[in-house]
Amino acid sequence: MIELRFHEELYDGFAIDEAVKTYAAYATAELSRDGGAYIVKVTAKPEATSEGIDERVLSAELANYALGLTIERARAGGAA
Amino acid sequence: MSDMSFHLGEGSVRIEFDEGLYPKDAIYGAAYVFIDRCWVHLDRAGDRRIQVTLKAKKPGADTQIYAGEFQNELLGQAWRLRIVEENKKLVESITARALGGAAGPPGLDELLAMDIGEETAFEDPLGIAMSWEEKYKKKGKGEGAKAEAEDASEGASGGEKAS
Repeated sequence: MIELRFHEELYDGFAIDEAVKTYAAYATAELSRDGGAYIVKVTAKPEATSEGIDERVLSAELANYALGLTIERARAGGAA
Repeated sequence: MSDMSFHLGEGSVRIEFDEGLYPKDAIYGAAYVFIDRCWVHLDRAGDRRIQVTLKAKKPGADTQIYAGEFQNELLGQAWRLRIVEENKKLVESITARALGGAAGPPGLDELLAMDIGEETAFEDPLGIAMSWEEKYKKKGKGEGAKAEAEDASEGASGGEKAS
C-alpha cells in the first residue's frame, strides 16, 4: 500500500476522485482528508501486479493524472 | 538565503521556492509541461513555500537538467501570464468588434424599429446618395444657361471674399 498526500490548496478534489476512478481497474484506493490534505491510500490489484505493473509506478501515474486534471480544471475556470 | 533551492535525490529532484515569487498558474503551467517526462508532485514546504518534486520516468535521466529546465519554464510561464494580463483589454476589445461585425447588417425588424424622421434622417451634403443619372444628367438649354449664370455669380462672390 502506498499513501499519497495532495495538498488541498494545490490539488482539486474532483480531479483526485476522477483519477481514482480512472485507475480503479488496476488499484483499490481509500480516500480520506487530514490536516489540509487529501490522502489516497493506493493498493495495486493482484491482477495488475500479476501483469507486471509496479505499485509505485501505478501510484505515481495516478498522482500525475490528478495533477494534470487539476491544472486542466484550473485553466477551464474550475476550482483548484 | 536564495528564494529557490534544489535538492537532488536518486532519480528525482526537489525544487523549493517562495510562493510569492511565481503565480500559481505559472507553477501549474510549468508542471504540466513536465508531466509526460516526469512524475510531478506539488506540495507546500512550510509557510508560503511551494515544493515541486520531479521524478524522471526514464531511468538514468539527468534530473539536474530537469531542475534547470523547470526553472526556465516557470519563468517563461510567469512572463506569458504577465503579457496576457497586459493585453487582456486589447484582446477583449478586438474580439468584441469582430463579433459585432460578424453579426452583419441590421435586419428588417431592426430597421423598422429605428426612429427615422425628417429631423433624424440621413444628411447627404456631398451628394453620395444621389443617383448617377441625377448627378450627371444633361441639362436643357434654358437650364444650362441658368446654371452657368449661377456658377458665374458664385465665382464672382467667391472672388470678392478672397480679396
